[in-house]
Amino acid sequence: MKPIKFLAALAFATTAPLLPAQSPQPDLGPRLARAAERVAAMDQRADRVADYDELKNLQQIYGYYVDKALWDQVVDLFADDGSLEIGFNGVYVGKDAIRKYLYSLTGGKPGLLKGQLNNHPQFSPYITIGADGRSAKARWQQWIYDGIHGAGSGGNWGAGTFENEYVKEGGVWKLRKLQFFQRFYAPYEGGWTRAAPESAYRYGKSKVKPSRPSSVSYAPYPTSFEPPFHDDRPEQAGALLSAGDTRPVAPAAGRSVSELEAAVRKLELKLDRLQAVDAVETLEAAYGFYVDKSLPDAISALFAQNSTLEILGRGVFIGLDRNYEYMRRLSAPAAGAMFNHMPLQPVVHVSPDGQSAQVRARLLVMFGATGRAAQWGDGTYENTFIRENGVWKFQTLMGTMGMYTDYDQGWAKKPAPMMSYFPGYPPDMPTSLKYEPYPANFVTPFHYKNPVSGQ
Amino acid sequence: MHRAQRFLAALVVSGLGTATQAGDPVVTDSKVISEERRLSLLEARLSGLRLQVERLEDRRAIERLQQAYSHYVTAGRAHDAARLFSRSPDASIEWAQQGVYLGRARIEAFLAKVAPSAPGVLHETPTLQGVIHVANDGRTAQGRWRSLVMAGVHGEDGSWIEGPYENEYVKEDGVWRIRSLHWFTTVEASYDKGWAKGARQAAAPLKDLPPDRPPSVVYQSFPSYFLPPYHYTHPVTGKPVGWDP
Repeated sequence: MKPIKFLAALAFATTAPLLPAQSPQPDLGPRLARAAERVAAMDQRADRVADYDELKNLQQIYGYYVDKALWDQVVDLFADDGSLEIGFNGVYVGKDAIRKYLYSLTGGKPGLLKGQLNNHPQFSPYITIGADGRSAKARWQQWIYDGIHGAGSGGNWGAGTFENEYVKEGGVWKLRKLQFFQRFYAPYEGGWTRAAPESAYRYGKSKVKPSRPSSVSYAPYPTSFEPPFHDDRPEQAGALLSAGDTRPVAPAAGRSVSELEAAVRKLELKLDRLQAVDAVETLEAAYGFYVDKSLPDAISALFAQNSTLEILGRGVFIGLDRNYEYMRRLSAPAAGAMFNHMPLQPVVHVSPDGQSAQVRARLLVMFGATGRAAQWGDGTYENTFIRENGVWKFQTLMGTMGMYTDYDQGWAKKPAPMMSYFPGYPPDMPTSLKYEPYPANFVTPFHYKNPVSGQ
Repeated sequence: MHRAQRFLAALVVSGLGTATQAGDPVVTDSKVISEERRLSLLEARLSGLRLQVERLEDRRAIERLQQAYSHYVTAGRAHDAARLFSRSPDASIEWAQQGVYLGRARIEAFLAKVAPSAPGVLHETPTLQGVIHVANDGRTAQGRWRSLVMAGVHGEDGSWIEGPYENEYVKEDGVWRIRSLHWFTTVEASYDKGWAKGARQAAAPLKDLPPDRPPSVVYQSFPSYFLPPYHYTHPVTGKPVGWDP
């Protein structure tokens, strides 16, 4: 290159970015409109993702209320014209009928009976949002482990399938039609394969007359019956949520660049909060998979620096080192040792600013020492999460004890007492909640209000 | 490259870099940058946002797909469960130590054997605790899950079966499908005796329907201690997790 050309190029290169815009403003209208339309389309897709998450929360919240016979809370989840059909017990239509029926399951008033366990985990959401975005259907699996302490049996195992309908009214998702197909309800002794078919008819039995007889005639296990799928298209089961959305995109907001900027920022926060749901669900699940396998390094690394850990009646442990030592004392990988930890049914709420989140989850435990002991255990997590330098972490983990029992006996026969402080490893602070596990009736405080009534 | 050219190139690059860096923090100040420039910056952001929306949809579509599997297997509908898998002849299913079955037809044949719809046969199979990772290009994904299964034949001793999955998914014509499903049954136990006294070995290959390939991972279930490898690194540290050898 000749030096003179080089200097000319240099002058251009250094001054061009600094030149003020001299040319008249081009008409940005068409570009602005196109961008605004894109924002509106993405906004609609994001809202459908939020609908999916809200529907998942709603059904799981229902399960936690049923656990504790909080019947008024359950009733509040229904639309005014809602209906409930449980097993072989007919259809109850409208809030009054539903309330009367549910009360009758616990002696005419809400709340658990003395010594009653009534746990109803909600599994396997298969959710279909209607094309109009105002209705939805979902298939769920529900398990039941319940019983009355001291009544003789170790309890019951039950299972079945929900095919439910939901409606969005005033921006809030509500239950419109709950229908639970009972597969079995078997005494703990012998389990489902030994239970007489009639045992299934015990579940949800009531003297309150239903509004209508059962809508479907079927027989429980061992008869083979599968409730029909509301969306029976396996080839489309993995379609994106937006593929089922036939609504036209709402008119785009953003007539000026400033308005468009505001709309984009709003969308970014919305996406941020939806991503937070995925991040904390992943953390909660990953935690369980690490506890399963006694990996204290991996577990404690999921926590924030100043985090706290409080499990069962063992008190509060503060900070990562204490967390690590706690986990190291719990169990060690060894042949013949089982420490399965299943955090299930996560109800997730993210803060308005997207920087923290709360999760309620159900814990199911399979403990084993081969040849010596097997146990079932259950509990409730109320955990909080924060975003620390852009990375989501546990801030507080609180696991309350529900029931633990010897496999050979069952919870209703032989529930274990509260597991208290570790010998030789006292906590930094005593337990923050005073309560007794099953057979006492303790409701772990909810981090959320009823999503429909706000109560 | 000539030294002068290199010098020029560096100048141009740094000049552009400076303009962008100077522009970003003051995008709302129209006195500093033009409306057109602000709009261009917004347009660039939108492409990234579209990908974010799609990743959110992908995760939920994969969850729905995996839960359709739970429901079809529980219902004993092998034909429909097989249609959740990729159309590729490489689509695979592998349970326990039963070996690998390839392609939809063989997947269906396998499921019809191990989870049939028949009076008295129960295989209540929820899928739980998902850890899903979608590839950046949105075409493939992986998921760890677990099933806790109530199984058995009426009148006989029932079973508890438990263990994690490590599955792979692929997007075909915009729809997610299962490319490979691998269920590591790390616990199989008699209902009557429980896992402390009645643990059973992970199921072996079917004699009357031999697999297309032997088990891809050989392991023993409880009371042996086996950690099915995680497809993902630690969500906070980014490091692999496993036991010290």
